[in-house]
Amino acid sequence: MTGPACGTEPGCITCGDVALALTVLTVEGSDARCRADDGRTELVATELVGAVVPGDRVLVHAGVAIERLVRRES
Amino acid sequence: MRFVDEFRDADLAEVLGREITALCEPGRHYKVMEVCGGHTHTIYRYGVQDHLPESIELVHGPGCPVCVIPMGRVDDGIAIAERDGVILTCFGDMMRVPGGRGSFLEANARGADIRMVYSPLDALRIARQNPDRQVVFYAIGFETTAPSTALTVLRAAQEGVENFSVFCNHVTIIPAIKAILDSPDLRLDAFLGPGHVSTVIGCRPYEWIPRDFGLPLVCAGFEPLDLLQSVYMIMKQFAEGRAEVENQYGRVVQYDGNPVALKVLAEVFALRPFFEWRGLGSIAHSALQLAPAYARFDAEQRFDLPGVRVADPKACQCGEVLKGVLKPWECKVFGTACTPETPIGTCMVSSEGACAAYYNYGQYAKQRLTLEVLS
Repeated sequence: MTGPACGTEPGCITCGDVALALTVLTVEGSDARCRADDGRTELVATELVGAVVPGDRVLVHAGVAIERLVRRES
Repeated sequence: MRFVDEFRDADLAEVLGREITALCEPGRHYKVMEVCGGHTHTIYRYGVQDHLPESIELVHGPGCPVCVIPMGRVDDGIAIAERDGVILTCFGDMMRVPGGRGSFLEANARGADIRMVYSPLDALRIARQNPDRQVVFYAIGFETTAPSTALTVLRAAQEGVENFSVFCNHVTIIPAIKAILDSPDLRLDAFLGPGHVSTVIGCRPYEWIPRDFGLPLVCAGFEPLDLLQSVYMIMKQFAEGRAEVENQYGRVVQYDGNPVALKVLAEVFALRPFFEWRGLGSIAHSALQLAPAYARFDAEQRFDLPGVRVADPKACQCGEVLKGVLKPWECKVFGTACTPETPIGTCMVSSEGACAAYYNYGQYAKQRLTLEVLS
């Protein structure tokens, strides 16, 4: 398992329509290494949100970024 | 925590609760359905209902993807997993969903190789690592999750990972809402729209709800204040005589959704003529299957499946709970024969299921209410 396991919160974040806002750390081809607010990192597929750069915030569900979030702070 | 704490402020919740109460028409009862299981979970976990007046009733809809999987599709997954050389992969909550022949966990105990993954991309990785095995991803979920499956199929095709396939159980939310509105069992006044599904499909697909049924729908986020603000927006529509689609979750949801994700969905999937939903029955054009161009990755074409319809246990009333006709605690087996440890119905399996959410959190609110009445 490369991402956060089902069970970090009660229930399964993947099938419960839960998505997490993560910050892009590095870009690795079609993927990006992203960090959650609690410090956890995971590799995220970014094809569905276009090119990302470090510092971008993306909404991630099931290891895939499904939306780019507007940054609110630097 | 950034982006979280500000949406869980109890003082603000009190203020919103008072403003919502002020908008209520005296003597009127409002039934508001939250379509998404994630909302159900938040409502019970944070006691959102406690901040609302008694005249506003939150009704739980069919938006937990695990909960609407019929037992026969669980058995089909087990039939795939029991074949020699097959690794079946699925999301965590799916492991305990009971089928006619038990759950995936029980199938593992009998010798099957069913593995929990966080992402379909993990299933593809397992396929790459096991070229001599058939690796099948048991895909469930609404439009939030379907793009990740579609993207995985595209990558499998690009990389030529031919030992990978998908057993597709993805469903779509709009036909389910239509089925609920056509149901004679239930009268609703408004909807809380599913925030993350709407991230993909946008808000426009809901516009027929106010147009044809005169009901407001507000796309809502998943924190307690998101839900309270969404209820406030609904009540403001009532107070002003409006019925519209509004977007409370604007920090995430674009009104037209994610066009790239929609394009990928359209390329990889096709609509099924019919699909059976637990509790709602067979609904036309309510689920996805792999499009002909990707049929070689379709597990239903790769394997012979039983495809048998399995009736729900007689004692289970998940169907009524999924339609919002029954509250979880009104089910005959709730909390006795059916618990999260030994679920009979799917609504008790996933924490986003109304029964499990109420079992884990809501019963305490009900106990508080009972104590207040007694005192």
